[in-house]
Amino acid sequence: MNRPIIEISNLVKRYEMGNEEVYALRDVSLTIGSNEYVAIMGPSGSGKSTLMNMLGCLDTPTAGTYFFNGQDVREMNDDDLAEIRNREIGFVFQTFNLLPRATALQNVELPLVYSGVGKAERQDRAKQALEKVQLSDRMTHRPNELSGGQRQRVAIARAIVTAPSIILADEPTGNLDTKTGHDIMALFRSLWEGGNTVILVTHEEDVARHARRIIRLRDGRIESDKVNPDA
Amino acid sequence: MRKTSEIGESLRIAVESLRMNLLRSILTTAGIVVGVVLVVVMGWTIGGLDAVWEQTISIIGKDMIYIDKWSWSGGGNWRLMEARKDITLRQAELLSQRMESAESVMPVVRLWSGSVVRGNTSLRCGILGTTTEYGKTSSAELNSGRFFTSIEDYQSAKVVILGEGVAKSLFSGEDPIGQSIKIISEPYRIIGVIKKRGFLFMDFVDNQVVIPLESFRSTVGMFERSVSIGIKTGSERMVDIVRTEAIGHMRSIRNVEPGQDNDFSINEMQAFDEQVKNIRIGIWTVGMGLTILAFVVGSIGIMNIMYVSVTERTREIGIRKAIGARRGSILLQFLIESSFLCVIGALIAFPIAQLIVGAARFVAVDLLDQAWASVVSPVIPVDLLMIAISVSVVIGLLAGLLPALKASRLDPVEALRYEQ
Ligand SMILES: Nc1ncnc2c1ncn2[C@@H]1O[C@H](COP(=O)(O)OP(=O)(O)O)[C@@H](O)[C@H]1O
Ligand SMILES: [Mg+2]
Repeated sequence: MNRPIIEISNLVKRYEMGNEEVYALRDVSLTIGSNEYVAIMGPSGSGKSTLMNMLGCLDTPTAGTYFFNGQDVREMNDDDLAEIRNREIGFVFQTFNLLPRATALQNVELPLVYSGVGKAERQDRAKQALEKVQLSDRMTHRPNELSGGQRQRVAIARAIVTAPSIILADEPTGNLDTKTGHDIMALFRSLWEGGNTVILVTHEEDVARHARRIIRLRDGRIESDKVNPDA
Repeated sequence: MRKTSEIGESLRIAVESLRMNLLRSILTTAGIVVGVVLVVVMGWTIGGLDAVWEQTISIIGKDMIYIDKWSWSGGGNWRLMEARKDITLRQAELLSQRMESAESVMPVVRLWSGSVVRGNTSLRCGILGTTTEYGKTSSAELNSGRFFTSIEDYQSAKVVILGEGVAKSLFSGEDPIGQSIKIISEPYRIIGVIKKRGFLFMDFVDNQVVIPLESFRSTVGMFERSVSIGIKTGSERMVDIVRTEAIGHMRSIRNVEPGQDNDFSINEMQAFDEQVKNIRIGIWTVGMGLTILAFVVGSIGIMNIMYVSVTERTREIGIRKAIGARRGSILLQFLIESSFLCVIGALIAFPIAQLIVGAARFVAVDLLDQAWASVVSPVIPVDLLMIAISVSVVIGLLAGLLPALKASRLDPVEALRYEQ
């Protein structure tokens, strides 16, 4: 395995709902190296999104350890986590999560705004990212003027514009038709082939087939973690 | 570097959300608008008051002290002053001889209303007799001609310097210099005209004529007339020293026993400063009370709308946090938005305030005196606008603080899950 980016051990995430305790993750240990292509699968409610949020430093675990690029995530404060999310992680969501009133270009520029890149360079890099997802001709369109597949491309451009260590995608094709879903998966594949580390969540076997490694969750535990024989 | 790009982004968001909710935003700023209008109009009024006061004070001159039987300000016991002995010309002469710190000392005698005639036109105005030193005080700055000399005084020459009001009434545009008028039936030759100095309630100063003391003695007479002694200190700084010296001499000249009160009054323009200060304080207190009320109401409105804005944009905040916005970035974004709203309020307020100021000035000039026109600013001064803008920004920051803190502390995962 290449240099590890993600090392988690005995990760637990517990939610308290009134008197009830819900364990979204029970005891998850996992190492993911650079330039891996991992699919996380499992039935609904098995903890996939919770795990992704944890990996993406959007959320913090109840117990267990998480080292990101060798740094202990538990020791980081809010701003450190924001910095990691900004520079090291590119997040792609099922619901795209674009700013509705900003143009495609502005949406892609946004992470660079928060890392303090000047306007000219910001636009340059955002344009390059949009080119990579073949959306150069839609830069000034707003999300509601774009199709679902195009929106997800914008979101992917936004995720890769900072050249992050990993790209996390939580059911990126969940809101897309099969054909568009395939296009998006092809895009992730090409990103991986270009040297990126890609981790994506899906419950479609069809989609997971692209990945090199498939991790299956059930009830907040890892059920299996295998190299994909089909890939 | 990071901050500049974030401030730019925040401004873009602020403009965008203002555009999205134009009517709502403008209504929210109403309190701020009222507050800024009040601040600006109040500032302008006080500025105007100061300017008018400056002008008024210069009628007599800040460097002048007058010693009179009566107090100008109307303070003190009227009966006691009535009982005082008149100040005589002899006392004025003695004081003039003894004073060392003053530039000059001059006696001034007045007839409040005497007849002045030119051909068929006649009017009644103040007649003032004094010495040539009076010509060097700011009360006698000339528009044309010259003041009389000490020789003319000595010779009881029948020469007169007209106040601007008298010149206008008798000559309406003609050059009065060299012409002749009758003062209480005695012919006088006009040698000078004093600049217009009168103003509001002080405009009697333009409706008088000045003649040499000796001429006054022969034309009007000195019977039962208390002399006013003018002392020119030479500079404002000297006023205290000169006053102390003058009081000492006057007490000894008028035989005031130690321990007894002065039997004369010291009149200075500076003495009125206190009253003007009180008017200022009055305007400030009332104005500030109303302003603070308006700003409190206004900032509650802003705070409210900012809370609404934070709730409406919970998901957006989640997105921004997910891609790397720090707490500070979100805080900044909302603070900029709330101060931006307040600045918009100020910008709406300026033309309104200008309208009020314009109308107030129009009415004042019409009602009181044209002289206002030259003294009171017709536009709101720039520094007042700057102050108003700064106050608005501060109000915006304060009003936006709690909502902005709320936004900055949102949990990114929960914010992303928020559905409108
Ligand atoms: N904020 C939360 N509060 C309470 N329970 C939660 C919360 N987030 C997730 N869960 C629970 O944790 C479990 C895992 O959820 P999730 O990670 O979203 O599953 P998946 O993405 O695999 O469908 C579910 O039972 C879900 O109800
Ligand atoms: Mg999920």
